[in-house]
Amino acid sequence: MRILNKIKQIGLLMSLLALSPFMVAAMESSECMDCHGDTDMVGEELTIVPLTFDNTAHAEVGCHACHSSITDQHPDDGLAPSKAACNECHDDVNDEYANSIHAGYAACNDCHNPHQVRGPTAVSGQEMNLKCANCHERNEMLETHGEWLPQADLHISNLPCVTCHSASDEYVISLYIIKRQSGTMFGKFDLATYDELHEFSGGKPIERLVDTNADGYISLAELRMFNLDPAKKQLRLQGMMTPERLSHDFMTLDNRWDCSFCHASGPGAMQVSYLSLAQRDGGFKRIAVEKGAVLDALYGTPDFYMVGSTRSKALNYVGLVILAGGMVMPIGHGTLRFLTRKNRKDEEK
Amino acid sequence: MSPKTRIYLQPTPVRIWHWLNALGIITLCVTAVQIRFPEHVHMFANYKTAILLHNAAGLVVTFSFTLWFIYYALVSRNMFKVYVPSKDDLQYGILRQAKFYLLTYFLGWANPHHPTPENKFNPMQKSAYLAIMFLLVPLVSLTGLLLTNVSPMRDLVLLIGGLKILIAIHFLLACSLCAFLFTHVYLATLGKTPMAYIKPMWTGWEEEGAEEHPHKAS
Repeated sequence: MRILNKIKQIGLLMSLLALSPFMVAAMESSECMDCHGDTDMVGEELTIVPLTFDNTAHAEVGCHACHSSITDQHPDDGLAPSKAACNECHDDVNDEYANSIHAGYAACNDCHNPHQVRGPTAVSGQEMNLKCANCHERNEMLETHGEWLPQADLHISNLPCVTCHSASDEYVISLYIIKRQSGTMFGKFDLATYDELHEFSGGKPIERLVDTNADGYISLAELRMFNLDPAKKQLRLQGMMTPERLSHDFMTLDNRWDCSFCHASGPGAMQVSYLSLAQRDGGFKRIAVEKGAVLDALYGTPDFYMVGSTRSKALNYVGLVILAGGMVMPIGHGTLRFLTRKNRKDEEK
Repeated sequence: MSPKTRIYLQPTPVRIWHWLNALGIITLCVTAVQIRFPEHVHMFANYKTAILLHNAAGLVVTFSFTLWFIYYALVSRNMFKVYVPSKDDLQYGILRQAKFYLLTYFLGWANPHHPTPENKFNPMQKSAYLAIMFLLVPLVSLTGLLLTNVSPMRDLVLLIGGLKILIAIHFLLACSLCAFLFTHVYLATLGKTPMAYIKPMWTGWEEEGAEEHPHKAS
């Protein structure tokens, strides 16, 4: 399905290129942005932020791929520009969505701005949830989930809604840097913006906040350093279980009522994690983190714990030694007690 | 000493506390195994049941701890005397008791400690219960309460060092408590008959001489 879709997209591009000599001269994307990148010229509603748009997959196909009716005469020709329907390229997503309980309640554009949209690994889990929160008001969700879900607020804050409400899969742990609201001691933590991270990195690339040796990989030692650095006390890592492959078949899956979908997957599933950092263009960039970071007993991700799933093996062994210590009296003393039972019986006689 | 003499060793509030505590702690230990190792242990129908039962049992233990504290601190007012080892206990008593458990018990000698309502714990018991009741149980209860609902007290969790540190403290303290439980239950069978120490915890009355097997002076 995915490959077919790509072929369709390439086909659309090729046909546009082939037909272009016979068409009234179309504008280049850069020409479009000359006006639409400037709020003063086109107004807020028609503005497309160049930095945000340039790094979307849609920018790669160019403005004309979706707005094919636009000519050099635009906007003087007074014609309303054509808009491609999303399903012309994304028909697999469209079919999936059409069969979901969501269809009919929201169109693609209600959740996705085509000039900003990114793939699942280039957006934050928090941002995914903001789309849902546009209609599904948080307090109402806390109330309905709280009726059956222990620690509903913790779950709603730390999981993308799609985890339980779609067949999205290939889960990993995404670590986001969150920052305490400025100037407060016990203020709320919010997802750190690129500018905030830039301020903390002191002019260096923001990746260096954690990836200190700039090798594009975050080791456990680097994570520890970040977590223990007093200069970064206002920052901390928030872990979220995020899907690498998104599905639009919105529903509540039966197996998600069972906590063990997440909580019993065992340490094997919790080995892969990424640090996901806000970028200047509004997207998120992922950096691979050493295997098993979320299972590290103490300092890897000190404030991330999924009961049953991210338990530390080292602590299990320490616990076992403690429990074995408790058996010394019953087994050791008990054995000697059995062997010397005669002494006590003799005395009683 | 007449072996028929009975003393009222465990007042009703203490017995209620003890068995409430026992039920709570055993439930906590059993549910904890499924909570920590969900893919290996399926004792309860589902994970949520284990979590909810664990939370409820935690509240029961916290409640019974409060009951215990109120009783000893405000009603009987002998908490210090019962739970804090005296100078003599520290200097000689612990050693004397350890010698009994590790050596003279096997030779058939008498227990050097004779319980009275005011001095019902032997010096080793006193020291162990002091650590357990004033350190282990309060800490395991507090960390448990924090874990039951993380969001409202998140800042306190961060102050401790984060959720993972909190879990580590809770887990290790709970293991220590469970380890103590094995020793506790075993030592409870060490009376004249295996039930000699357990019965007073149920009825309140102890037959004097229950602690003694033999009649050789220590």
